[in-house]
Amino acid sequence: MSTTTAVPRITYSPYDDKTQIAREIPRYHRSYTRNPSKPLVQRPLTLSEQTGPTGLAEKFGAARNIGELDLSYPVPGGPRAIGQLMTLSGRVIDEDGRPLAGAVIELWQANACGKYVHKLDRYNAPLDPNFIGQGRMVADGEGEFHVITVKPGCYPVMESDWWRAPHIHLSIFGPSWMNRFITQIFFPGEPLNQTDLLLQGIPDEEARQRLIVKPCAAHKLDYYTALGFRLDFVLRGKRATPALDAD
Amino acid sequence: MSAAQFVPTPYIPTPYITIGPYFPWEFSDVHYDLTQHNGRPARGERILLTGRVLELGNKPTLNTIVEIWQPDANGIFRNPLDPRSAQADPGFFGWGRARTDADAWYKFITVKPGASREEDGTLRCPHANVMIVAVGITRNLVTTVFFPDSPNSVSDPVLNCVAPADRAKLFAVRDPLLDAAGLPAYRFDVLLRGENETPFFLD
Repeated sequence: MSTTTAVPRITYSPYDDKTQIAREIPRYHRSYTRNPSKPLVQRPLTLSEQTGPTGLAEKFGAARNIGELDLSYPVPGGPRAIGQLMTLSGRVIDEDGRPLAGAVIELWQANACGKYVHKLDRYNAPLDPNFIGQGRMVADGEGEFHVITVKPGCYPVMESDWWRAPHIHLSIFGPSWMNRFITQIFFPGEPLNQTDLLLQGIPDEEARQRLIVKPCAAHKLDYYTALGFRLDFVLRGKRATPALDAD
Repeated sequence: MSAAQFVPTPYIPTPYITIGPYFPWEFSDVHYDLTQHNGRPARGERILLTGRVLELGNKPTLNTIVEIWQPDANGIFRNPLDPRSAQADPGFFGWGRARTDADAWYKFITVKPGASREEDGTLRCPHANVMIVAVGITRNLVTTVFFPDSPNSVSDPVLNCVAPADRAKLFAVRDPLLDAAGLPAYRFDVLLRGENETPFFLD
């Protein structure tokens, strides 16, 4: 039976473990105290799981236009943040490669010295008064987003013996509760990438590459440019194929 | 690139990585009250949905982010996939976020969800989807909270997938000792790992 609905049905297959991070990572102690030990329960996906919040961009006041979100320039006409000025751009798409227009992205990161604007960060590197360190933006009709920032520094993990490689945190809201997504992205050629427990917690090299930004054309600002980096994010979800479902 | 060289790109989901310890509190601490939206009050019974998030050994977790997604008091999702979304409560957004304090407590102010209805008419027990996000949690971690006074006539297709002995772990408990500001409290504790850990769903 065919029905006409304004909104196409999307299917969400469970993640393929091979493409994802391990649930338990040696030396990353909390992964052994906070991830469930029992098998996850498979359930049918009802409306509840397939739906998700709408209107978050408005609720968050997320930036909509290229150049609007600039973490390195808090006061117009004032100084920029310390560090390598860069842009991060890319697309949010689904497993069919279709843009997820209106996806809302939250991002946060350390400054160029590896220090976060956060009360729980006890590293005594200096804060940068001209670095904001967090922002929200919404992907446009092509799924495209764009933020101006500085490249984050590396920093020592508290009460541990390893350093984080430079990385930027992202939290992305796709159209569904099923593709609510949180991750971290890394930079090419960083020696610390080899010893970052979280990046290396993804066993598959190809999968790790999906979190490493790619250099792209520099982004022109007034009379200088910002280093350009790109990365696309593939959120889970494929358009339903009724012919196969009927099999 | 010539056509002969073209290899279709497989669109493989990007790997998830933990939220880490430094999610901005400006993002985590201001969305715990779901009872108004765009200046309009939500309809329905206002409640506190609160509890603790514990890790192995029943130890408290600090700074854990909890997100919820739920239908309004009439069981309608504020989302176009719900055939009844045109009747969704304009004062109810449906999504919220909270953060655990030093003693592992999170707290939402929300409305008691109604029974949502699938397109084929199947009813869900009143529930809220719950997502736990924290240092050490490497993958998307989700569960569902149900309410103790759910109508007996409703058989829930998601709850039915959970082993009968574990189902009670997914029910919030009415706890008058936690009532505050005139709101009835429903307590839902989450144990991330341990003998009595909370059932979580395949991500």
